[in-house]
Amino acid sequence: MNEALTDPILLSFIASLGISGYYMTRDNFKTTSLLISSLLFAGIGIVSSSYTYIIHNKMVVQGTTSFCSSEGIVQCGSVIGDPTWNNLFGVPWGIFGIISFALLIYLSLSLYLDRHAKWAENYLQYSWWAGLVGLPFVALLVIIELTQVEGAPHICPFCTVAHISLIGYVLTIYYLKNNQMNGKWVDSE
Amino acid sequence: MARRRKSLAPKGRDDDVRIIAGFALGSILTAIMILVVVIAPPATIGPSEGELAPDFSTDAYSGANWENFRLSDSFDYEWNADEQGEWILIQFIDTDCPYCWTEGETMSSLHLQWSNDVEFITVAVELSISGHDSDRAEIEAFRDKTNYGTDDSDGNGCNSGRDNCINRPGTEHNWVYVEATSGIMSDWEITGTPFLAILQPDGYVAWNQYENMGESIEDAMERLVGGSQ
Repeated sequence: MNEALTDPILLSFIASLGISGYYMTRDNFKTTSLLISSLLFAGIGIVSSSYTYIIHNKMVVQGTTSFCSSEGIVQCGSVIGDPTWNNLFGVPWGIFGIISFALLIYLSLSLYLDRHAKWAENYLQYSWWAGLVGLPFVALLVIIELTQVEGAPHICPFCTVAHISLIGYVLTIYYLKNNQMNGKWVDSE
Repeated sequence: MARRRKSLAPKGRDDDVRIIAGFALGSILTAIMILVVVIAPPATIGPSEGELAPDFSTDAYSGANWENFRLSDSFDYEWNADEQGEWILIQFIDTDCPYCWTEGETMSSLHLQWSNDVEFITVAVELSISGHDSDRAEIEAFRDKTNYGTDDSDGNGCNSGRDNCINRPGTEHNWVYVEATSGIMSDWEITGTPFLAILQPDGYVAWNQYENMGESIEDAMERLVGGSQ
């Protein structure tokens, strides 16, 4: 089995994604569960982005890292370590991830704390559009992993965790919007 | 008189929770930044002295064919200042630049003296100047000193098309010639050629030509790398 796939940190991320998914579907898509789920997805996104940024820094300064495998198809070394593709205009992708998920956390946390506020409906819309804007970047990064980096195709598992987090976040916001439109914004017992 | 009815719609909290969310997020970001700085502080990357040289991965010509070349593959990340190691001399040229044409001889002589202790790398850029169009054939001819163009100043050849590349000063350059991309030029802040930099074996910039206008490359090599052969 690929060494990278047995990494305990990666397994923790996968388990966290499973918990977030469970919260999304729990109680028949109740608003409270969905808000918790969106917070969890965004939280996993920011942590995994930070982790990829740490790997990036290690790769740049040391040329290698013990934080992720550099062998095989599933690995970070050839993806995060590729000087041509590991950044956008000189800014590492991990930084973009941290900033983006920070915005999503802010929106979801505000909604979670007060879903009946005057601004709640707007914030739900902002969350929706902010999540959607990220999806083309996920597609771009997957294409880069599969076709552009040295020795392609490769899949960086920690980057994939961040990608799945964003997709999960967009899904929860989609269900939240459904709840709002169908008069299920307030949880019924 | 009609009595005012209590609204059935849920009402938001009296305090603005967005401030609380903002503080919570600020705390999360602060914790993340502290963690990153403790575990893996970001390196300062750039062409200035003391900075880690900007890495690149692109095609390069070594005399036989064009193959992928990655600068950081030449770095010895575990090098210490009190150890021997292979230093790196990186030169940026435009095959049509007159100063690069004459520097060909300097590079040959530097290579003759320091090739055992220093890895030579030339990055061929294409400046946005009329008559400075170059292609791989021209880069190959410049490096190998082979027949390319004419000496008739007809725009065909090296040195702004004034010379046949076979007449470049100096000997054949037996080191790798890298084909620059716009990204490499931008990362290395290249606005003109030739440009020289000496890198420590671990990839940090030890000497930048623009920061040492009073010191010749020979003196810098002598000072940093040591005695020539």
